[in-house]
Parts: sequence; C-alpha cells; structure tokens
Amino acid sequence: MTVAHVTWLREVRAYCGALSCGLSVTAFLAAAGWSFVMLVRRHEGSVLQVQSLWGVAVAPWLPVLCSVLTMRLLAEERSSGMIELLMSAPVRERELVFGKYLAALTVVALALAFSALVPLAWLPAVARPLHGTVHAAAFAATYLILLLQAAAWCAAGLLASSLFRSQAASAVVSLLLCNGLPVGVYAAVLAWAPSLRMRVAWLPMLVHVYDFSTGLFSTAVIALYVTLAAVLLFVCSKRLALLRVRG
Amino acid sequence: MLEVEQLSFSYGRRRALERVSFDVAPGEIVALVGANGAGKSTLLRILACLLMQDSGSVRLDGVDPLSRPVRYRRGIGYLSEHVPLYQEMTVESYLTYRVRLKGERQLRVRRRVGETLEACGLLEQRQTQIRLLSLGTRKRLALADAWVMHPKVLLLDDPLAGLDPSFRRQVGAILTAASSRSAVLLAGHEVRELAQWCTRFVVLREGRIVGLYRVDEHSRAALPDRLERLVECGEDAGGAV
Repeated sequence: MTVAHVTWLREVRAYCGALSCGLSVTAFLAAAGWSFVMLVRRHEGSVLQVQSLWGVAVAPWLPVLCSVLTMRLLAEERSSGMIELLMSAPVRERELVFGKYLAALTVVALALAFSALVPLAWLPAVARPLHGTVHAAAFAATYLILLLQAAAWCAAGLLASSLFRSQAASAVVSLLLCNGLPVGVYAAVLAWAPSLRMRVAWLPMLVHVYDFSTGLFSTAVIALYVTLAAVLLFVCSKRLALLRVRG
Repeated sequence: MLEVEQLSFSYGRRRALERVSFDVAPGEIVALVGANGAGKSTLLRILACLLMQDSGSVRLDGVDPLSRPVRYRRGIGYLSEHVPLYQEMTVESYLTYRVRLKGERQLRVRRRVGETLEACGLLEQRQTQIRLLSLGTRKRLALADAWVMHPKVLLLDDPLAGLDPSFRRQVGAILTAASSRSAVLLAGHEVRELAQWCTRFVVLREGRIVGLYRVDEHSRAALPDRLERLVECGEDAGGAV
C-alpha cells in the first residue's frame, strides 16, 4: 500500500464516522435539491434540459461542501499535534497531501452521485413528458465538469487547511477562495466593462457546467480545472514542507 | 550511529541551541536533561525532522536528513511530548494505520502490530477506542507507535511526564527492551528514575551542553544529586565524565 492509499483509507473511514461529514453532505443534498426544484419550476416549459438544470443547481453549493469537508484535513492535524507524527514518518509531503485530497474528493463524488439520483431516476419516472428525454450520458458529462470543479475546490480547501490551526478560519478562507474570489472578480469585470454583460451573462463556472451539460466539451476548460487543482496541491505540499523550517 | 555536530538553532533572535555536539551508539539509552527551555525538545524536534537547524549537521549511519529525508526518517521513531493520537480509532487500528504508513509490507502488518501490542502490554486494550484510554496507556501506545518498525534510534520527548510510578516502571521496562534493537535518546526531568536505566546523560543549559555523564554501577547512586544540582544551579562539584 502506498502512503497516499493508506492516508486515503484512513480519511475516508474518518469521514464515515464523523457526524459533521454526514450533516454537511445532507445539507448539501438539501440545498442542491431545493435549488433544482426552484429551477425546474422557474423554467417549466423552456428548452433547458434536466441535466443542465441539475448541474446549474448543484454547482454553487459545491465550493461550500468542499470547504466544509476539507477544513479539518490538515488544520486538525496541526491543532492536535498529529502533524508532528506524520512529518517525522518516512513519507513525502506530496503523498500525504494527495491521500487526504483524494479522500475529500471521494466524499464529494459520492455526494454528487446521490444528488443526481432524483433528476436522473425519480423525476423521469413520475413526470410523463420526461420519458425518454433524460439520458445517463448527458448526466455523465455534467457530472464530469462538476467533479472537475470539485477537484479544484477541494485543492483550494486543502491549501487553506494547511495555513491554519483553526478549522473555522480554514473554512472561511477556503470559501472566500472558491466562492468569493470568482464572484468578486466577475462582479469587478462587469463593473469595469459593462459592455461585457451581454457576452458573460452568467458566472463562467456556471457557463462551463451548462456547456458540458449540452455537449459542448472544451479541453481548455478541463485543462483549467486540472491545472488549478495541481498547482494548489503543489503549493499545499510545499506549505507543509515549509513547516519544518520554523515549526 | 547518530552523530550530532555543532548544531545551532534559534527562534528569531532567541538562541535555542548553541553548537551542540554528541553521538549515540547502538544499544545506548541517552537522556537529555535540563531545565525548561534548555533546548531538549528543540533538539529532539530537529533530530525528528520537524525543525531545520540553522547550522551544524546530523547523521544517522552516515545519512543526512537534509539530503535524504525519507531514508533518514525510516531510521527514527519519534514520541511527541503531547502524545497526539487519533481519538476515534481503536488501539489496534491506529497502530495498523501507522505501520502501513511507515511502509511495511501488507503481509507483515498484522504480525508486527501483534508483536508490538504484546511487547507494550496493550493486548487487552487492542479494541478500545483511544479516547477512552488513560494517559499512561496512551503514552504506551505512542511509544508502541514510535517503536513498531524497530527504528535505529528512538527519539522520545518526555516519555515519563504525567505518569504514576507504576506506569513509569512499565515505560522503563519497554525502553530497556527496545534498547536491545534501537538506540534511545530521550528528554526528561525525572533524573532519579532515568538513572536506573539510562546509560548516559547529556545535560543542557540555555542551549549548550554543560555535562556528559556515563552511568555505571559506581556512579548510579550519586549521579542524580549531582545532575539535579547541575540542572538547577549550573554547578557540579564532581566534574563531567
């Protein structure tokens, strides 16, 4: 077993036994479900497809879930002192970071899959007009972009968690990084260049979700999220290594 | 085995260690003693790769932790002063996790964990959650964690702190058994107890080594008084050995 695998296993087990994890996933499912229902009501009769509505309903809540799930991963280790035992063991920081990151991403992936059950399975069964129009492949594409976004948010959350001993501080910074920063930049761009309002009517993150859900794949978008996650994880492992310099 | 040469470290402007040099040979149990703030924990933290020295060098069988960190850390077992453990895990699952993390082959994990639990007297508590353990048992578990891979050197920060006499004797017995396979370097204040099973004392004062004492049958009885005086007042009538 590699260090990343052992760490992943421990963290997934810790998530399974943690009430906070169950509560945050439940809250995420409730919030995403509520958003989905609101969007369905609002766009009744429109040409928008179910998987697009699901993707757009889930996407804004993903950074919140990722922040809450990742906040404890390194902050708790630092506050409890376990980080000392981890850092004195024959492991590389990047392996440790990757294992913890994969554990958070696993929980998010499962939560996402659960959130798709209602629009993918239950809704077509009860709503006659939807028979035959809901395709698993379309949902898979939407799931892919949501997972890519979650990969970036989890990496940002893990980095924030490595910066603090307090889990709350880590969650706040992670939320600002994942939600506040993109929204802030978007609002600033629109404020500076109102002419762009027509071209970027939605937040780019939502546009990516919508595009993928309608079959408009873009390798640039995939590369963007993968690169973002990789860079953030790299910085996070360097941050851990830096702890050795001054404790 | 473990060679420390001219090691210096400061926290900002405050000098914590000043050109500290000593070595630890296989089979030895070396105690670092000194008043609070003398630099014992800082020294152990540097040896455990948790801090990086300002100058000087550390080598474990010729391996430098700065150039080959993973190989160096494979040769050490570290017990932290605060005994941090994952509270929600059971004794056995925690030790299994640590053995796997330290790179043991899958087939050997159970045997190694079983042996260590037995050696540290933790077999009865193997299914107990860590949060329910007493401080003494937690210390023994942390010690088991440090020793489980039979490292070349055990680095123990205050292993006796907060323990009653019976638990202290148990820890002493574990360390004596461990010293047959590993060298032991520990920090502590309990000079009288340490003198019963340590082979050497290194006395630190304000980040400097002020005395090196070898313990033998002749000096074992008188040494604690001399060491306590040296730690408290910096005086030693007998002179270092």
